[in-house]
Amino acid sequence: MGPLIKLIVLNMVVYAILKFMVPNIPGSAPLPASLVFLYMMLTTSGFVIFATVSAESKEAFWGPIQRFLTGEGGGGLQALRYGVLILFPLLVGWQTYNSTAVSDAPPSENRTIHPAPPGEYTGLSNPISKTPDAIQQGKGFYAAFCSPCHGGNFDGKGPASRGFNPPPANFSDPTTIAMLQESYLFWRIKKGGVGLPIEGMPWKSAMPRWEVELPDEWIWKIILGEYDGAHQAPRTWE
Amino acid sequence: MTQRLNHIVPNVVVGVWLAMGFLTVQPVLAEEKAAVTAPPGSTLQSVSVSAPMVKGALPADDPNAAVWSSATMARFPMSPQVHWPNRILDATVKDLNVRALHDGTNVAILLEYADPTEDPDDSAAIEFMVGDKKAHFAHGQPMAQVEGGPVNIWYWKNKDNKGVDMNAKGFGTLKVQTHQDVKAKGTYANGTWKVVFTRPLATEHPDEDTQIATGGFINIAFAVWDGKKDVSGELKEKGSQKAVTSWWNFRAEAPPDYSSYYYAAIAVGVALGFQFVLIRKLKKGHSA
Repeated sequence: MGPLIKLIVLNMVVYAILKFMVPNIPGSAPLPASLVFLYMMLTTSGFVIFATVSAESKEAFWGPIQRFLTGEGGGGLQALRYGVLILFPLLVGWQTYNSTAVSDAPPSENRTIHPAPPGEYTGLSNPISKTPDAIQQGKGFYAAFCSPCHGGNFDGKGPASRGFNPPPANFSDPTTIAMLQESYLFWRIKKGGVGLPIEGMPWKSAMPRWEVELPDEWIWKIILGEYDGAHQAPRTWE
Repeated sequence: MTQRLNHIVPNVVVGVWLAMGFLTVQPVLAEEKAAVTAPPGSTLQSVSVSAPMVKGALPADDPNAAVWSSATMARFPMSPQVHWPNRILDATVKDLNVRALHDGTNVAILLEYADPTEDPDDSAAIEFMVGDKKAHFAHGQPMAQVEGGPVNIWYWKNKDNKGVDMNAKGFGTLKVQTHQDVKAKGTYANGTWKVVFTRPLATEHPDEDTQIATGGFINIAFAVWDGKKDVSGELKEKGSQKAVTSWWNFRAEAPPDYSSYYYAAIAVGVALGFQFVLIRKLKKGHSA
């Protein structure tokens, strides 16, 4: 197998691993196309360095590329050569157009989903004992006040959620309340969307400021009901 | 000579075919890239209203004018207003379709939504931020850690059938402006309201009115009230009881700019030149 074929096969293997295997590893996520491209570039550069360490290996690697480009390679590859020679300038033009054209997409906003809470809300422990009664009461309050947006199934898909951007949090998702302490939820429920710091973009949040309507005790019970209903546990101090 | 051409022509044809084939695949790859950066759930709804620039008068009184079709329709799901009391848990209007146009001087925004009954108190409103400060979508209410600004509200009610230009900075602060720049006209047919709002892009009151510069994105939000009365004669939706959206984006498109085509043409030229020089050099190197 020639070194060029090896490089192509290697890149195909890298692409297949990054595209189809990595996203299936538990806890992983699909990689952005730019990152896949970066890894393939690194693979290619590494291979080129390896393939050109000696004069013979350099000739084995560059020789076929040179013969292909100059058209000495023979008949079968001529069509492909013209294809490459036409394609390359067109792609350069296409990329230039894309990078200079005015974008139709609104500016992306890097909203911090879980910004740091104010000092007085860190490390508070739930004053309500986790009894079946308290959990049941909490679930009742949740059904009345929270479920219209956060959903009867704790999945953020309540009937009133549809018009809001950002969407209400999905508590059954392991990246929401399972990553947070009870004191953090207490802050978010009590102070609502308008209590967020600037990186949380408080002007967009529809989360009510429940301190004006609910006593603290109810909020703590809602937290118990929420974790139980969503089958999650609060994050604890390690 | 002819024999040489017989060799080259089929190769060039297949080469062009290969190049075009790859270029048709390329947008698919680009789309995948765009999907990664789009916010979640964006397939079901729009994130932005884009107002193209049109020549001639804006259809301020005619929601059915043909020129509206030159604007892409944006679709926003609506929620019952649950954010602050008095809230409601179910609102009549579930989705809002929005189109917008501008002529370089004025902007026209068409709201379109299903409402089973025409009632005198049926109303709709568009909300914008004013100035550089961020404002909460719920009437610009105060935020704990961010100093917010006011909101500008364009309001229309069926029984008056005109636009009202208002400001608010917090609940209970809604105030009708002394200078009215907004016009509005609603038309009801086949269970659908079509309401057109118009206003100059820029006004002389930047502290109270949102200023729309072409090409830039600004925030926009919407509200709709079903003015139907229940059996006791009470309005089904009024005041804070309404269908709402939170902030989305709005842009009055800038006049077309063709400079990226010129840049692309120059780039193709440079790439061709590079190929020519490279192959010449390689051929010389080989023959040497």
